[in-house]
Amino acid sequence: MKVRFILNNREVEVDVDPREILLDTLRYRFGLKSVKRGCERGECGTCTVLINDKPVYSCMVLTVQVEGQRITTVEGLVNDDLFKKIIVSFAEKGAIQCGFCTPGFILTAYALYRIKDKPSIEDILKALEGNLCRCTGYKKIVDALTSIRS
Amino acid sequence: MSKPDYVEIIEEIFHKYREKKTRDFKYIGKKIVRWDAIDKVLGEPIFTADLLKYIKNPVFVYSVRTEYAHAKIKSIDVSNAEKYPGVLNVLTAKDIPGVNDVGYVIPDQPLIADRKVRYIGDTIALIIAESYENAVDASDYVSVDYEPLEVILDPLKIVEWNGLEEKPHTLIHDERGSDVLSRYKIRVGDPKKVFNEAPVIVENEYRTPMQEHAYLEPEAAIALPEPGDAVTIYAKTQCPFDTRKAVAQVLGLPFNKVRVIAPALGGGFGGAEDVGNEVAAKAALAALITKRPAVVLFTREESFIGHSKRHSMIARYKHAASRDGRLLGIEAEIILDTGAYASLGPFVGWRAIVHSTGPYRVENAWIDLAVVYTNKVYAGAFRGFGNPQVTFAVERQMDLLAEELGMDPVEFRLKNILRNGDRTVHGQLLDHGVGLEEAIKKAVEASGWFEKRRRYNLEKDVYRRGIGIAVFYHGNSIGAEGADYSSASIIIQRDGSIILRSGVTDMGQGSIQSLINILAETLGVPPSYIRVEPADTSTVPDSGPTVASRVTVMTGNAVLVAAYKLRNRLNKLAAEMLGCEPEDIVIEAPNVYCRDDPENSITWQELVEQSFWKGIPLQEFGYYRAPPAEWDEETGRGSPYFTYTFGAIVSEVEVDLETGVTRVLEAVTVYDIGRVVNLIGAELHAIGGYIQGMGYALMEDLYYDDQGRVYNTNLSTYHIPTAKDIPKEIKAYFVEAGYYHGPYGAKGLGEPSIVGIAPSIANAIAHALGGKVNRDINKIPLTPDTLYMIIKKHNLIK
Repeated sequence: MKVRFILNNREVEVDVDPREILLDTLRYRFGLKSVKRGCERGECGTCTVLINDKPVYSCMVLTVQVEGQRITTVEGLVNDDLFKKIIVSFAEKGAIQCGFCTPGFILTAYALYRIKDKPSIEDILKALEGNLCRCTGYKKIVDALTSIRS
Repeated sequence: MSKPDYVEIIEEIFHKYREKKTRDFKYIGKKIVRWDAIDKVLGEPIFTADLLKYIKNPVFVYSVRTEYAHAKIKSIDVSNAEKYPGVLNVLTAKDIPGVNDVGYVIPDQPLIADRKVRYIGDTIALIIAESYENAVDASDYVSVDYEPLEVILDPLKIVEWNGLEEKPHTLIHDERGSDVLSRYKIRVGDPKKVFNEAPVIVENEYRTPMQEHAYLEPEAAIALPEPGDAVTIYAKTQCPFDTRKAVAQVLGLPFNKVRVIAPALGGGFGGAEDVGNEVAAKAALAALITKRPAVVLFTREESFIGHSKRHSMIARYKHAASRDGRLLGIEAEIILDTGAYASLGPFVGWRAIVHSTGPYRVENAWIDLAVVYTNKVYAGAFRGFGNPQVTFAVERQMDLLAEELGMDPVEFRLKNILRNGDRTVHGQLLDHGVGLEEAIKKAVEASGWFEKRRRYNLEKDVYRRGIGIAVFYHGNSIGAEGADYSSASIIIQRDGSIILRSGVTDMGQGSIQSLINILAETLGVPPSYIRVEPADTSTVPDSGPTVASRVTVMTGNAVLVAAYKLRNRLNKLAAEMLGCEPEDIVIEAPNVYCRDDPENSITWQELVEQSFWKGIPLQEFGYYRAPPAEWDEETGRGSPYFTYTFGAIVSEVEVDLETGVTRVLEAVTVYDIGRVVNLIGAELHAIGGYIQGMGYALMEDLYYDDQGRVYNTNLSTYHIPTAKDIPKEIKAYFVEAGYYHGPYGAKGLGEPSIVGIAPSIANAIAHALGGKVNRDINKIPLTPDTLYMIIKKHNLIK
C-alpha cells in the first residue's frame, strides 16, 4: 500500500505491506537508527517517535496508519533550539550511559516541554514513565530535565 | 626479585599524589561529559543492529528452540523446513565444522543441541533464510522426535541439606555423571566448639531470585565472510577476545582468521558475556556457509530465554555471637542454581563463597557451597556475581542478631567490621585503605539514622516507615579465577590528537571515561584530544574481559603505565626545548612551559612535531598484571582478591499495610572506591546500581510453570523499575581510602553498586513492620503479595 506522510519536515511516500510497523519503516526504509528496537510490544519506549508532536511507540503503529501525519525523530530536530537545550542538559548532567534508551527519552521530554514551560517533577516523572532505562536509575535524566525549566 | 616496572610506576604515582585532594586534579574526579554522549543523544548508528544500514544482501539466521525442558533427541527432520520459500539452509549439530560448544568455563553447552535438550530455550536448528520472516515461518517445519525426561526445577531435588550431598535423580548432565557443577568450602577455626558454647545464636533460611539483566538492547550479531575462509563479526559482546576464542572453536579456525568487533552495547551487566559468543558463532557459521553477510537479531522474548541470568540462591545461615555483641562464628550451607548450563557458574560460586561471611572479622567459619544444575534458563554473570545473594543473607542475619542482642544494627556492625590491619576470614591481611568505618559513619550521619530509627519504631499508621542499613565488601577484578592482566596502547598523532586503544568494551558502564581521565591527567591534555577506538580483536591489545569491575583499576593501570612513559619522554624533550629540568615541565595543552616561567611557552603541537623530527616515539603500550591471588580449596584460606571495594547503604521505606506495596522514600549510598576518577560515572553507578538493586529487592523474578517454561518473558510481565518508582532522593557519597596498586589509588564500582541494596531495603522493611516479623523477611523479591501474606500472618492489619 502506498502511504504518504511528513517525516522530519519532508514529505515522503512509501509502498508498504499493510502489516509493516512504523518502527521497521523508519529503521529499514529510511535508515533512521535513533529509533531503536527494544521489545516490539510497546513496553520499553526505545522506539518512541513523535506523531503530530505526541510521543508514540512506533512498534505499536502500522505504517499505513500514519497517512497524512507528521512524524518526527531526533534526526529531524538537530537544528531545533528546545531540542538542543535538552540534549546539552542530558550530556552535561550525565543522563546517558549505554544510550540505547536516550533518543526515546529525549523525544518524550521534548514533547513535554513543547506543551509546558515549567513542568513539575510529577509531570516529568509521569511523562517519562513509558520509557525504560536500565543503566542510570533515571535520577540524572530527571535532574537534566528539571535543570532546563525556564 | 625486583618488581616489574609497571608495578613500580603505579606505586610511584600513588605515593606522589597520595596527599593530593581529588578536587585539586584537573580531570581526575571532575564532571566530564562522556566521550560518546553526543553520538548517543543524536541516535547515531553505533549499536550492532544499526550497522545493518551498511550491509548489502544479508541472510537472516533464526534459532529454532526446543519446547522441552529435559528430553533426549531421538531424531531431527529438517527436510520440510529446507523446502520453505526463502530458506537457504537449515543447520543442525552435525553441520558444525569445529567443536559444537560455547560453554564459557567448561565445555557443557552445545551451540546446537545434539543428544539432548536441557531447558526450554536450547537451540535445536538454525534456519538461514533470505528474510527474517521466512526464517521464523520455516521454523514450524522442523520436526523433532523427543523422549521426554523428568524436569527438575528445584535445586533441592539435586542436593539435600546437612552436607549438600547429591540425591538420586535423572541426571541433566549425564555425560558429567553429576549435576553438582562445583563445590566450595571455608574451614576456619573451630566453629563446632564456638556454637556449643555461644550465648547467642540466630539461624534462618534465605532465598534470592533469578534476576534478568533486562538490558534494553536485545542481542545482535552481523558476520561478514572474508577471503581465505576468514570472518569478521560485529556483535553485542562484553568480551570480544573471549568471543573470538568461542567462534574460532566452533568454526575450527585459528584465532587470526576470526575478527570480532564490539560496537557500543545497549547495556550488559554481565549478561552480554557468554550470549555474545553464541550469537557471534551463529552469525559466523551462516556467513561462512552462505558466503554472504549473516545477521542474528534476538527478539525480547528470545533474549529472556536465550541469555544467562543471576543465579538464584537458597541458603541456611547460623551466626553465633557473644552477649556483648562480638561475632563468634558462622555456619552456612549455600546452594546456587545455575540452570541448564555452567556458563560462569563455577566463578560465581567462588565469588559467593569468598564473600559469604560479609566484611566482618570472623575467626570461626564452616561454610559449604554447591552450584547445581536444573532445567531452568542457565545462570551466569550478572553485576555482583554471587555476592548480592550471600550479602542478602549475611546482612539480614546481622539485623536478626542485633535485635536478639538488643543492639542498634549500626552499633553491632561497627563492633565487628573489618578495619585497616585486620585479617579477612581467609586470613588475608588488609594492609591498606579499608574505608568501611568511614562509609558507615557517613551513611548514618547523612540519613539521620538514629533519630529515624527511634521515631519510626513508634509509628502506628497504616503506612509504616522503616530505615535499614547494609554493608558489604567486594573483591576487585577476577582474583584467583584466572589470568588477570590488562593492556592498552596510546598513539599520539602528528597533529597532536591521540588514539587510545584497548580491548575493553563500553556497555554503558562508562569506565572508558575513567581511562580518558587518567590519560588526560597524566599527559596534561584535555579529554577532547583523545579518541577511543572500539574494541576490535585485530587492532587492539587483549585487555582481558570487561567484567568484574576491573576496567578502571586494571586497564586504568595499563593506560597509566603507557601515559607515564610517554609523559617522561615528552618532558625530557620539552626540557631541552625550554631550558629547564624535565620534572619542572608543565603540560597544560595547548601550552607547554617550565613551572617557573609560564610566559615562555611552546605549544603541544610543536612538542609533538619536534618529537617526530628528533626520533622520539610517540606510541606506547601499557601492560599491567594484577598482584597474585591465592586460594586454598580445602580451607578457603588465602588472598582471593588483591583489593576490595567497601560500602554502606541506608534505605528508608514506607510499606502500605493494606496492600503490601513498598516505596523506597530515600537512600544514602557511601562507597570506598579508593579515589574517584570519573565522578559522573561513579554517581551513575551509585544511583543506577541502587535502582537495579531495588528491582531485585522488590519486584524482579522469573516465574516457571512445572514443565520449565518461563511465564514472564517480556517487560510487561517482568517488571523493572520505571521513573515513577524511584526514591525522592538518592544521596551518593564516596570515601577515598586509596589503594596503592590502583591508578591514582582507584578501585572499582560497577559491580559493588548493587551488592548491598536489597538487604538494606529488606532491613528497612523489617524495621517498618516491627520485631516479630523480622525472621519472615527472608526472601526477595518482597513483592506486594509476599509482604501482604506476612502482614496478614502477623495480624498487623485487621
